[in-house]
Amino acid sequence: MVVEAPGDQPVPPAAGVLPAVDDAPARPPPSAARGSRWAWIGSPVALIPLLLVVAVAAVLVAASHFQDFGPSFWSTDYNFLPADSAASSWGIGAFLVGTGITAGAALVLATVLSLALSISIVVYLPSVPSRVLTILTNLLAGIPSVVYGIWGYVILAPYFALSLEPGLRDAIGWIPGFGGPASDIGPHGLLLAIVILTIMIIPLTTALMREALRGVPNDLLEAGLALGATRWEVARRVQMRSARLGIGSAVLLGFGRAIGESVAVAMVIGAVPMLPASLYAASTTQASFIFYQLDSAFFYPVLLRFLVEIAIVLLAIALVVNLFAQRLTQTEIATATTVGGAGGPAGR
Amino acid sequence: MAVAVVLLVVGIGAGYALGKYYGGSSSTGASAGGCTTTISETGSSLIYPYLQILSPNYTAENPGICVSPASTGSGTGISSAESGLVDIGGTDAYLLPSTASQYNLINVPIAISAQLIVYNLPGITQHLNLNGTILAMIYQGAITTWNNPLIQAANPGVTLPSNTIVPLHRSDGSGDTFMFSSLCYLSWSGWTHSYGTTISWPIGPGAEGNSGMVTTLSSTPYGIAYIGISYLSEIQADAHLQYAALGDQNANFDGQVASGGAGQQNYIMPTPQNISEDANLALNNLQPPSVAISLILGGVPGATDLVLGHGGTNATSADPTPYGDTNLEYTLISTHPKSSAHQKWVVNFLEWALTYGGTYASQANFLPLTAEVIGYDMLALNAVPVSA
Repeated sequence: MVVEAPGDQPVPPAAGVLPAVDDAPARPPPSAARGSRWAWIGSPVALIPLLLVVAVAAVLVAASHFQDFGPSFWSTDYNFLPADSAASSWGIGAFLVGTGITAGAALVLATVLSLALSISIVVYLPSVPSRVLTILTNLLAGIPSVVYGIWGYVILAPYFALSLEPGLRDAIGWIPGFGGPASDIGPHGLLLAIVILTIMIIPLTTALMREALRGVPNDLLEAGLALGATRWEVARRVQMRSARLGIGSAVLLGFGRAIGESVAVAMVIGAVPMLPASLYAASTTQASFIFYQLDSAFFYPVLLRFLVEIAIVLLAIALVVNLFAQRLTQTEIATATTVGGAGGPAGR
Repeated sequence: MAVAVVLLVVGIGAGYALGKYYGGSSSTGASAGGCTTTISETGSSLIYPYLQILSPNYTAENPGICVSPASTGSGTGISSAESGLVDIGGTDAYLLPSTASQYNLINVPIAISAQLIVYNLPGITQHLNLNGTILAMIYQGAITTWNNPLIQAANPGVTLPSNTIVPLHRSDGSGDTFMFSSLCYLSWSGWTHSYGTTISWPIGPGAEGNSGMVTTLSSTPYGIAYIGISYLSEIQADAHLQYAALGDQNANFDGQVASGGAGQQNYIMPTPQNISEDANLALNNLQPPSVAISLILGGVPGATDLVLGHGGTNATSADPTPYGDTNLEYTLISTHPKSSAHQKWVVNFLEWALTYGGTYASQANFLPLTAEVIGYDMLALNAVPVSA
C-alpha cells in the first residue's frame, strides 16, 4: 500500500504518470485501536525481552566497573602499554571510524546490489528463475560468517594485495580514499572487510527488500501499466515508492548486522586501531577488536573494562538502529492496514 | 552467562569424575577405557598440541587417569587457574610471583619454545643478520627501508632492496607478542612502548595467530614478522619466506657492540642447542633462582619487572651461542587444592611430563626442558600438598 510518510516529497508534476489521489483517509491514532499504551505491562511474557535487554545492559555496565577513561575516551588516540604508563590513552574514535566506514560502505554497496537483485526477482524475471534466485539468496543468508571470513582470508586477500589494490591505486588514486601511501596496500584492510561484509549482508537486505516489493498490491502495478508506463517506470515510481519504508528498514537492519559482525571482519581487517589513511589501510572495528583482544584482557583488567565499554557503545548503536528499523516497519504496517482497511483505492 | 555455563559444565564434569573416584569404581572405569579421574587444563594455544600428545601417552601408563586440555589462550588459562575452574592453567607468559602467591598458584615450566624473525624478501634466500635494536627500530618506524645502513652493516656483502619494510604484528593477544615486545623493550632506548601480550603497535598491519602471520607474510613482499618456532616447517615450505639469525647479547643496550672484552656481536641461528643454551644462561643469570623468568636475551628476572638496560655477557656459559628470542611455556597449578586426592594426580601428571615429556616435545616443535629447569620444577612440585 502507498504510504504517506511525514516529510515525504511529492512526485514532481512532470513525472506524474499516475493520478494523484488526495483524499487518503485520515489515520486513527495507533494506540486507540489497541487500548491503553501501558496495557502490555500486564503480560509477564511481554516483559521477558525487556528484562533481557536490561539484564544485558546491566551486566555490561557492572563489568565496566564504571571505569572512567576521561574525555579522551571519545578521541581517536588509543595507546595501550606505552613505556611511560602515564601516557596511555583509551580513545574509541578509531574503532567507531572503522566500524562506520566498513558498515557504511558495505551498506551502500549492498543496498544498490540488493535493490537490483530484488527488482529482478520481483519484477523482471519469469517465475522459475525468480524462484531459483530467491532460494539461492536465502541459502547465502544461511552461510556462517566464519566461512565468508576464511574465504576472504585465503582466496581474496592475496589477490587484493598483489593485483586489485595496486591496480585501483594506479587507476583511480585521485579519488579520496583510493590513493594514500603505497605502504597501506596489503592482504588485510578496510577494502577487503567492506567486500566481505557486503557479500554477507546482501542476502538479508535482498530478502527484506524482496518481501517489501512483493507487498505492493497488484492492482496498483496494473493501474500503472494500464496508463502506459513502462515496467521500469512502474517499478521505480510505484513499486519502490510504495515499498520505501520496507526498503529503509531493510537497509537499517543490514547496517545493524554489519556493525555487529566480528569474526569475519577480524580475519581480514588487519587490526590497527588508528585512523586509516586510505581504503587499503588496515583498520579495526568495535566488534572485531573485542573479539581478538578478549584473551589478553584477562591479563590486564583495565583492558577488559575498556572492551566492555566499547561493547556498551556498540550495544547502544545497535539498539538505536534496530528501534529505527522497527519504527519504519511498524509505520508501514500501520498505514497499510489503515489504508487497506478502508478498501478504497490508494495512491497519490 | 558464559561463566555460568563453564561453571556448570566443569561442575558436572568434576562432580562426575570425583564421584566415580570416591565411589571406588576405578577398576570398572579403567577396564572400560573410561576415566576415573580427569585432569582439566585450559589456556595457551601453543601448549595445547603438546598436551594433546602427552595426554594419551600418560593415560596409557596410568589407566583411568585422563588429561583433557583445551586451547583457549594464555589469558584465559591464567584467569581460569586463578578462579580454580581448572586443575592446570597453561600460559606462554609467567604469572608474576606476587600474583601467583596471592592466588596460591605456582609456575611450572613444561617446555621451551622460541620465536623466529621471518621475512619475505624477493630475491634474498639467505638468513639475514638482525638484532633486537634493528627490530625495535623497524617496528617503531625508525628504520623504514631494507637497505638502511644499520641493516646493511649487519649484513655485509648482501644487496638489500630499497623497498619499504612492512612490519606485521599479531592482532590477537599472544605470548609471541609478549616475547617480541620484550625483545624490543630490552634492546633500544627509543622504544616508546612497554611489553605485553598486546600493545598498540605504532605501524604495520596485524594478523591473527601464528598461522595468520605465515599466510599474511607470504603475500606481503618486503614484510617481516615474528612467528613461533612451531611453524618452522610451514616457513621452510614457503619459498617466499626466510628467517633471520639474531644478534647475541655481546652488544650494549641500543645495539652498540661492547668495546673491549665481549668482542663483536655474533649472530645466532635458532638451532635447538642455541635455544636450550639461552634457557640455561637465563637461569644462571638469575639470583635467587626462579622459573618466573623471561628468557629474552639470556634472561631477565620477572619478579618485579624486566630490567631495562640488561646487558649481561655470556661469559658464564660454556657455550657462547644462546638464541635470545626464547621462552618457557608454563603451567599453573594450585598449592592449596580443594582435593588433595585429586591434586595427587595433577602433580603426578606434571612430574611424568617433566620426566618423559622430552621424547614428545619435538613432535609439538618444542624443545625439552634443560635439566636445570626440571630440577627447579621438581622442587616446586614436591612442595604441593597431596594425599599419599
